[in-house]
Amino acid sequence: MKKILVLLLIATFSFSGCEKDDICDANTSTTPRLVIEFYDITTPSLLKKVTKLKVIGDGAPEGIVFGTATDDSKYLTSESTISIPLKTDADTTTYSFILNYGNANPSLVNEDKITFNYTRENLFVSRACGYKTVFSLNATSPYTHTDATIPDLLWIKAISVEKNNIDNEYETHIKIFF
Amino acid sequence: MKHTLKYSFSFLLLMSLFLTQAQVTVPTNTSTERTKIEGEIPEAPKQAKTKLSTTTKTDTIPVKTDRYGVRVGIDLYKITRGLYDKNYNGIELVGDYRLTKKYFLAAELGNENKTTQDARLNSTAKGTYLKFGFDYNGYENWLNMENIISVGLRYGASTFSQELNSYKIYNPNPYWGEVPEIVNGDKFSGLTASWIEVVAGVKAKVFNNVFVGFSLRLNRLISNHKPANFDNLYIPGFNRTYNGDFGVGLNYTVTYFVPIYKKKVTAKK
Repeated sequence: MKKILVLLLIATFSFSGCEKDDICDANTSTTPRLVIEFYDITTPSLLKKVTKLKVIGDGAPEGIVFGTATDDSKYLTSESTISIPLKTDADTTTYSFILNYGNANPSLVNEDKITFNYTRENLFVSRACGYKTVFSLNATSPYTHTDATIPDLLWIKAISVEKNNIDNEYETHIKIFF
Repeated sequence: MKHTLKYSFSFLLLMSLFLTQAQVTVPTNTSTERTKIEGEIPEAPKQAKTKLSTTTKTDTIPVKTDRYGVRVGIDLYKITRGLYDKNYNGIELVGDYRLTKKYFLAAELGNENKTTQDARLNSTAKGTYLKFGFDYNGYENWLNMENIISVGLRYGASTFSQELNSYKIYNPNPYWGEVPEIVNGDKFSGLTASWIEVVAGVKAKVFNNVFVGFSLRLNRLISNHKPANFDNLYIPGFNRTYNGDFGVGLNYTVTYFVPIYKKKVTAKK
């Protein structure tokens, strides 16, 4: 009898002890990034790798980290796909895409600016994760493509919007041809 | 929780009082048996046995009666929690009616107002709930004792509203910096939920018709009407919700027994 009671009490207090036990799982689909794929302008079906591309947000102190290196080369990518985060508290995000960043020959370095225009929606995920923001690129003008402040011609030849709704990172939203 | 702990210990002490009473009567029998063994005379123990059996027969049969009636009371856990937890206010009225020797009809009626602070969410749930079902007393009482160690089932239903006070956006890539908490204030009303509870409880008679009780509950949701773009994080009566349909609860009650009629107990053979 006494043992049962003690056990019951222990069970109660152990239950009350574990309240904040949940952590947002990394595999949960939360705020997505914009997925961009680079294609060859001459053969538009062919993926093309960029060379030492640096992507830096307008007003951000540093570029997006792509690599795992400890030095400045972590900001550079030479892949054909990149994922870049959009602002969750504004309806536009501007990035500078700098090709051949840090190249000794300054004529090869080329900077283009793209501003993405979108609407946002905050969706409930779970108790642990809170809310996530999903984006929807504007139908009429999803982006504005401009040259850098110091004009150096456009290296991006064409931009195509594949998916207007950005709600996951499993699909390509933007295709860039160069 | 500190208050509950204090009450629980005092409750344990109360229960231990009953235990010692029960144990006192048992050794007297064994002590007589021991004297029989010491004597080692075959005739003497036979006489003693017959004497004992005749006396007990005449004593027990006319005395034992069971009282039937209504027990009403209040959950002290919810009331005390409101005193030390500024995010909680609640009250629960409890009652049961003795149907047969072992079965009790039982019900709880309550109202709760709880603000839950999670890592990324702050919400307030307000509402009323009703639970009804039965308790089965598995405890065989000694003379004049009316203690209960029971298991039971309840059907619970709650109607409530939720207010999302503030929330945070989860962004695994905070390149643009962590966005501060968004103050919202959206109210979701007209929410409902129903569930089944398995109850394990004890009730002990403290004095006259006053009982103190403690119960543990394991809940499982049957229906849960969730608001759009939010979840029912706290359901009055059901308590905190988890990813699955399960939940837990407890109460600590003080009840008053109103006797209505008495019934003689027929001895089992």
